[in-house]
Amino acid sequence: MNSVNSAILDPSVGWAILAGFSLLWVALGWYWGRHAQQLDDYMLAGRRVGLALGTATAMATWVTSNTTMAAPQLAFQMGVWGMLGYSLGSVGLLMFAPLATRIRRLMPNGYTSGDFIRIRYGHTAWRVFLAISLFYSLGWLVSMGMAGGILIHALTGIPYHYGMTVILAICVGYTLLGGFRAVIGTDFIQALLILVGLVVIAVLAIRHVGFDSIHSAVTAERPELLNLLMPAAIMFLFNNLLFGIGEIFHSNVWWSRAFSFRAGVGFKAYTLAGLLWAPIPIVAGFVALAVPALQLNVPAADMVGPMVAANLLGVTGAVLVLLMVFAALSSSLDSLLAATSILVVEDIYRRHIKPHASAEDMRCAAARIIVGLGVLTWLLCAPRLTTLAELLYFTGAFVASTIWPIAAGLFWRRTNSTAAVAAMVLGSAAGLYSYFAIGFYVAALVGAAVSMLCVLLGTWLAPRDFDWEQLREEHPLHMGARP
Amino acid sequence: MTMPLTVFSALVLGALAITIVAPVLLLVLLIRDWKRKQLW
Repeated sequence: MNSVNSAILDPSVGWAILAGFSLLWVALGWYWGRHAQQLDDYMLAGRRVGLALGTATAMATWVTSNTTMAAPQLAFQMGVWGMLGYSLGSVGLLMFAPLATRIRRLMPNGYTSGDFIRIRYGHTAWRVFLAISLFYSLGWLVSMGMAGGILIHALTGIPYHYGMTVILAICVGYTLLGGFRAVIGTDFIQALLILVGLVVIAVLAIRHVGFDSIHSAVTAERPELLNLLMPAAIMFLFNNLLFGIGEIFHSNVWWSRAFSFRAGVGFKAYTLAGLLWAPIPIVAGFVALAVPALQLNVPAADMVGPMVAANLLGVTGAVLVLLMVFAALSSSLDSLLAATSILVVEDIYRRHIKPHASAEDMRCAAARIIVGLGVLTWLLCAPRLTTLAELLYFTGAFVASTIWPIAAGLFWRRTNSTAAVAAMVLGSAAGLYSYFAIGFYVAALVGAAVSMLCVLLGTWLAPRDFDWEQLREEHPLHMGARP
Repeated sequence: MTMPLTVFSALVLGALAITIVAPVLLLVLLIRDWKRKQLW
């Protein structure tokens, strides 16, 4: 146990919290999933999710461990632009709101984002898209699994492998038992935990330290953090904006929610989730700016949030941070497991391996895939290769290249498949090149720009007249879809 | 160009106000959906 850990929580307290929450999530997963007989119930919560649960699941899923831990770190390193840049992640949710309405209207029987690309652009674009989407999902899963092990170890002293195994096993367990309904239900509780924990810590920082002291200490010791003209931070801001939009536009995590929401809920839920999510990185980042006033010595920038909380609240503060981190990790991991399993079962298993699979085959395959994804993630997390966590940064170029094919494909009848394939392949290649030649902070920017050029130029040179009715494809299994 | 104290305080207080309102709003919506039998 190092100096950071010894200042925070005892491992026995950590184990007690992990055990309590594990039991709670698994019990809720079983309770909510016990009536999910139809495949639609298990995979898309019956397509009748209301506004409250819809808003909370979109918000909680987008609050990852990065939001609660990296937002303070970014504020500590990039100041107010770090906070605001991270906060722009909400633009992705806000921009997806009209897309969610459109998706639900055009594809009332749809299952995955892959379904859309396959019908709209054909098989080549579909396979390129699946490669991007699965690569991104795996990168996100691995980064969340690793973050779980590292954060639980840092907060409680519980060894990395134990913490990582526990968080993965719990999420696999309740997602397996309760399917999408368990994911959405637990997301609501997790959203409340994250919000309340954050408010308590921020209010205490204001009451114990105060705006005057925080502002004057930062101005005296780290004036660059309040500098409104920090070029690298401004560049980060725009890159983060496009990365966030790319992540949300293409990922089945967000499409499966659009399919699962009751008609008329998608736009409101995503808009509200974006508005409620936007202040979270600002509040979390503000906590980090209390460091100079509290005269804390921060040995690792990513531990700045827990250190401030522990300094202000002692053990209670550390418990609060652990609850928030645990909630943030589970709400993202369960969503990723569920959405990726739907993508694999529909787009790989049924469309590539077993075209005549029955509903029961699909349900069994979904369960096996959830377990398989958990095992694969564990295997990739176990060696604790930091380069694997950095995979997520690479994916910025890939996911940003999907923004234009998705958005144009949903609203622009004339966009053609050649332009979509070129946009994803050339956009990804250009983004990757700029990642290595310039830096991580331009990969998504370049990927999105090249992708945009390909879609605009390709559509102008060879416009196509797509029939939107094709997207209303009936699923051959009639999986219990409701109007 | 340093961000003035008033702007800094207003930014954080505004964000904090929304973060305080958020769980209340979610609970109100949950009760409304539950009464209308539109939870899920």
